[in-house]
Amino acid sequence: MEPELAFALPEVTLYISAISRAALLAAAGSLALIVVFPPPKAERATLLMWGVAGIAAMAAIAAAPSLDLVILLTLAIALLHSALAGRRSLAARLRAPALAVALLGLALVFARLEGPPILAAFAAVGLVAGLAAALGVLPYIHEFDPDEVTAASPIVWMAFLGPVLAIAVITRARELIPTAAAAFQAMLIGLGLLNILWGGLASWLTEKGTSAWHYSFMADWGLVLCAFGVLVADGQSAALLVLYTILLSRLPLYLWSRQPLRDRVQTEKPINLLAAAMLAGSAPFAGFAARVLLLRGATQLYWPLALVIAIGLLMWLPPSLRLGRSLGLPRGRQAVGAGIALALSVAIGLYPQPILSLAGL
Amino acid sequence: MTGAAGFAAWAGAAIIVLADGRRGLAVGIALVGAGFTVLAWLAGDWFGGAALLVGVAVCAIQLLRTGRQEWGLMPPGSTARLILAVVGGILSLWVAASVTTGAGAPLKFASVTVLSLLAARLLQAQKAVQVLTASAGLAIALAGASALGRSVPGLVPYLVAGVIAAGVSLLPVAESRGA
Repeated sequence: MEPELAFALPEVTLYISAISRAALLAAAGSLALIVVFPPPKAERATLLMWGVAGIAAMAAIAAAPSLDLVILLTLAIALLHSALAGRRSLAARLRAPALAVALLGLALVFARLEGPPILAAFAAVGLVAGLAAALGVLPYIHEFDPDEVTAASPIVWMAFLGPVLAIAVITRARELIPTAAAAFQAMLIGLGLLNILWGGLASWLTEKGTSAWHYSFMADWGLVLCAFGVLVADGQSAALLVLYTILLSRLPLYLWSRQPLRDRVQTEKPINLLAAAMLAGSAPFAGFAARVLLLRGATQLYWPLALVIAIGLLMWLPPSLRLGRSLGLPRGRQAVGAGIALALSVAIGLYPQPILSLAGL
Repeated sequence: MTGAAGFAAWAGAAIIVLADGRRGLAVGIALVGAGFTVLAWLAGDWFGGAALLVGVAVCAIQLLRTGRQEWGLMPPGSTARLILAVVGGILSLWVAASVTTGAGAPLKFASVTVLSLLAARLLQAQKAVQVLTASAGLAIALAGASALGRSVPGLVPYLVAGVIAAGVSLLPVAESRGA
């Protein structure tokens, strides 16, 4: 009789939540926009290759059945991303994402330890700190080199991988630490306000145009964190819409502005003003709908918070005018791309319901 | 036995914190891997433990095969790192043995101490090999810590961690270049 060597293969259930599906769709849309209308001097095949790799990584994070796997996959992605040739040293490229993994891992351990309620509060601190380190927002701003190729820069974490990762961590965190959920939401709001202030001011006052774009992503993330912290339906809807504006508006415009920034070209044509309005979240663009929903949600939660956020929203105006000018005068394919980005933003701003329904909100 | 495994994991993380050379880092990651492998085996997770062991073995052997071979243990100016390794271990032991309740103190101690010490190492490290070794240690500790959950983690976290630990040593360290 032959000994039995067979063993059951582990059963892994893959399920992508509705809100993650919506974020993945936006990421795919952003990639399509960038590949079809590539920035000057960028190779379309390279953009497509790295973009598809990024989408695959995001899909893996979104489909991971547990937070353990989300964190391990994030570490794997961080290692692969740091292997890309960039201007910063490998240690500098890997440090912040790996630190994020360590903090998220510690949070997970503390959430699972049995003991006094302070352990759940530590877990909440670890989750928020880990998320901030992964995204590269205050207080863990990734080292940024304005001349580095975008695929190897921290913008990948902020503007491409970040949305799906944040959704995966935040939605699972609420189930993981129900006793410290209020502290977790409060920390998200606090960190969000801090990033709105810092990102807005730095984006306005920094010398280098590329750094101004980097800080503007931080300010947008401040809005997202605030919105996720406002645990009412309007807050979650606002968070998703701001993520859409990051992926479908800010990221493509950033990539298209790289060459004009290198050439030190600044224009004040109608297209620049429209781009500035879109980046500032003016009506009728998607950012406006997101801001209205966020203010409504914050009012339901605690009206002084809505007041603080409303004052913070003014921070978008001066840097957006600056960023809009840095786009230069798009020509040919880029002009079409910018037009499509503007039209998409207007469509989402006027009628966001299909996207919210897709996300189950 | 579980206590010795937890202690081995702490010792490995402490060596990764204290060592700058490849030999020291290889010994450190080997001890971290051995600690978590034994903890997985004692919990009955034979295949998971084996996956960790293979990954760590590849990582340690690659560290010993390539690059400049030196120990680099406690170079001048390492006092702060030594204090970190000792205090980190004591605090983790206090959390695992005194603050928390329930069984599995060695695994709790190993998870908390390795994750916190390697997080500190990441902030301080300047060379690629140090950051990569700390990342491999993080992967091993994360897989080991998955056993702390209420549900059975299965083989997948261990497999992913094993692949990461083996992969970091094979990762091409790209040279810096401009935009």
